[in-house]
Amino acid sequence: MKSIKNNIYLALLFLLLFSVAARAQYDPKKICKVEDGNLVFQLDQHWSDSQKSEISRLFDLDSLLLIKVFEGLPIVFVDSITWNVKVIKPGLVEISKMIEPYVKKNNRVDFRMIDNSWINLPVPGIEETAVYGKNSFTLVNAFSYNDGNACFFLPGYPDARSVYISGSMNNWSTMQSPMQRTDTGWLFCSKLLPGRYSYKYIIDGKWTPDPGNKLKENDTYGSHNSIVFCYNHVFKLKGYTDAKTVVVCGSFNNWNEKELKMTRTPEGWELPVFLREGTHAYKFKVDKQWFTDPANPVIRPDGRGNENSFMAIGDTLVFRLNGFTTAKNVMLAGSFNGWNPGELAMQKDSLGWYLSYVLAKGNYEYKFIADGKWMIDPSNPYSTGGGDMENSFLTFQPNHIFELDTFPNARQVIITGSFNSWSTENYRMKKKDGKWIFPIRLNAGKHTYKFIVDGTWMLDPANELWEENEYGTHNSVLWMGP
Amino acid sequence: MKPAPGLFHRCLLLLLFLAVGISFSFVPSSQVGKADDPLIINLSLLPIKNINIVDPEALGDFNSLTIPLKRAGRLLLIEAVIDGETGNLVFDTGATGLVLNKTYFRSHATFDNGSSNGITGSTGNIGCTFAKEIRISDLYYRNIKADMVDLSHIENRRGFKVIGLLGFNMIKSFEIVIDATHNELQLHRIDRKGNRVQPEEVETVQDYTQKINPWRPVLIIKGMVGGKSLNFCLDTGAETNVISSRSPKTVLSTISITRRAGLGGAGQATNEVLFGTMNDFMLDKTPIRDMETIVTNPDALSEVYGVIIDGMLGYNFLVKGIITINLTKKQFGIRYLNQPAS
Repeated sequence: MKSIKNNIYLALLFLLLFSVAARAQYDPKKICKVEDGNLVFQLDQHWSDSQKSEISRLFDLDSLLLIKVFEGLPIVFVDSITWNVKVIKPGLVEISKMIEPYVKKNNRVDFRMIDNSWINLPVPGIEETAVYGKNSFTLVNAFSYNDGNACFFLPGYPDARSVYISGSMNNWSTMQSPMQRTDTGWLFCSKLLPGRYSYKYIIDGKWTPDPGNKLKENDTYGSHNSIVFCYNHVFKLKGYTDAKTVVVCGSFNNWNEKELKMTRTPEGWELPVFLREGTHAYKFKVDKQWFTDPANPVIRPDGRGNENSFMAIGDTLVFRLNGFTTAKNVMLAGSFNGWNPGELAMQKDSLGWYLSYVLAKGNYEYKFIADGKWMIDPSNPYSTGGGDMENSFLTFQPNHIFELDTFPNARQVIITGSFNSWSTENYRMKKKDGKWIFPIRLNAGKHTYKFIVDGTWMLDPANELWEENEYGTHNSVLWMGP
Repeated sequence: MKPAPGLFHRCLLLLLFLAVGISFSFVPSSQVGKADDPLIINLSLLPIKNINIVDPEALGDFNSLTIPLKRAGRLLLIEAVIDGETGNLVFDTGATGLVLNKTYFRSHATFDNGSSNGITGSTGNIGCTFAKEIRISDLYYRNIKADMVDLSHIENRRGFKVIGLLGFNMIKSFEIVIDATHNELQLHRIDRKGNRVQPEEVETVQDYTQKINPWRPVLIIKGMVGGKSLNFCLDTGAETNVISSRSPKTVLSTISITRRAGLGGAGQATNEVLFGTMNDFMLDKTPIRDMETIVTNPDALSEVYGVIIDGMLGYNFLVKGIITINLTKKQFGIRYLNQPAS
């Protein structure tokens, strides 16, 4: 009996080892080769489903092929391709086919550029998403920012022929922003909006991080970019001059208590920072005690028995719905609050309903909810979608206006492009003074677009920049600066 | 009837003269090779325009100039102002001269110049124009002939404004130093012997040098793969290396294929693209390992360069060292960033 048990254990062990050995042969780097103009794969029937799925994905092989090649036929025809099959041993086959003859292209194909997913391309900058920040310069006069005017100073380099600053503030131009030579170094001043900027100096053609700045990011090419914040807020706390440390923390830095230490002043404590547009909760921590901001009357409960100070950065927009005076309540919901229907209650006045709300610059969709009934804003001519899916469209502080003045009698004009995924329903233009307009907030960079006039696609006749597209027609081209 | 010996010799001389004359009218004499010369120019693909009889004159008050390179993915970009239009030129030694992106120069007068090879990613008939002024840092050119093609596919994939390509002829009068790791392109003026007008204080020592033919329309480097000597085009506009799928078995057996895909737009026939790693590339006796490469049909390579080559060395090769090209000295050199194991 014992001997039978031992044999069973041995058999199981053998099966396990065999299984491991079979699986161990799986190496996607070794299954494909090119030989005499033929593409050759060695395929193993013992691979797991996930391994087969990976092979199918990596090598663009039909999953049906991975089944049919083990049916014992010398030729397999799948997905319009004929594969020759050679059995090496049971469960292991070699399949081959001629590499496809080269198809001469008419245009737009350049195989010197490879698929983005095949290579590790650098991650784009995070200027747009930076929530907060403070500077960390080792040199006092390396950077200053007053009244929207930013000044960068690089000491030394008296023998340099030229020094430029290049960064996200000038779209990494290497020629646009020369620094001025001074007695002690090189200076560049320019108007900049509050925000986070990455930059480098170019000293006689050589990229150089700012030696006076400790704040940096990996440039993904083996070096680093310097980082600077142009401030838009100063946290101030009067008094507490005997305290050892005062820290400000809030929703913007996930209530990190060690990060934003305030600086002692004759009147108390302060800390200039950059804060992204929006509403932020915050508190001061004086040594070990927490305080709301005594200079800020906006205090709200945090839901756990405590209170926080609240502040808003950015401009305020007043949403208004006239009439509906008999409604019990009117709510506002939109893309700016995740379409939460229970959050933004509007206030009643003699004209109807209103709500003041701080918004970052951008494009938004929204609706009112009057006594539970969703409705578009009757005073807003811009909307997207149709039927029940129609929403009011709002651009807060637009940076571009699309205009078309050649079709005043058209029934409908739609603007469509790379910025709205070429939607053919959204972004209906409004007729004003005989021309069609659509104000919008566009990101920095390239945008391609067309107008759809009563169903007919057309280039922007007022824009001389256009390019060919993959459909053999053309798109208008628009570049937006940083 | 037997021709008179004098007439026979005269005919022979005339034929020889015609043959040599025709050869000179298309390619420099050094390029006229045997029928089995792997670098025979494919005249059906290479328009005469791509052979610059007179190289563009590079102007500017400098003896040595360092141009900062920008990166867009694996492309190397050079900021330029061309006839008032500011943007980026792709630094592209795989192109022969200056190529302008149609999108930004439609107002320029154009003339038909026959069909192009595929070096710009476009084939078929293309137009030509003249750029009045090109300014790059302290370097400038005047009245330069340029091809006009649509380069929107590069622009849209990499997100940078691309106003054109800066091809090899534009800078080949200099000693060229490409330091892709530090994003620098150095141009040094040289004398008739190829020596720098302003010598370096401490001369850079090359780890390896190779004689190159200065008369080719593109820069050809000899490299060894799997023990076979192959001709590669040094192409700074290529995001990865490329090797011909018709290479000998010993060559292809050193390449691990890790991806396969079709390449083509909607409704188009696709080209099969194989992607892998070149494990056994050598210049002389120094192995350079782990370079990503595409394996492609040799017809595609011919279409791109107009010459028959075995592959191209792109970004993956450029980042292995600091590369120096001096056509007057007929020399290619490399200083490895990390000395490869021998």
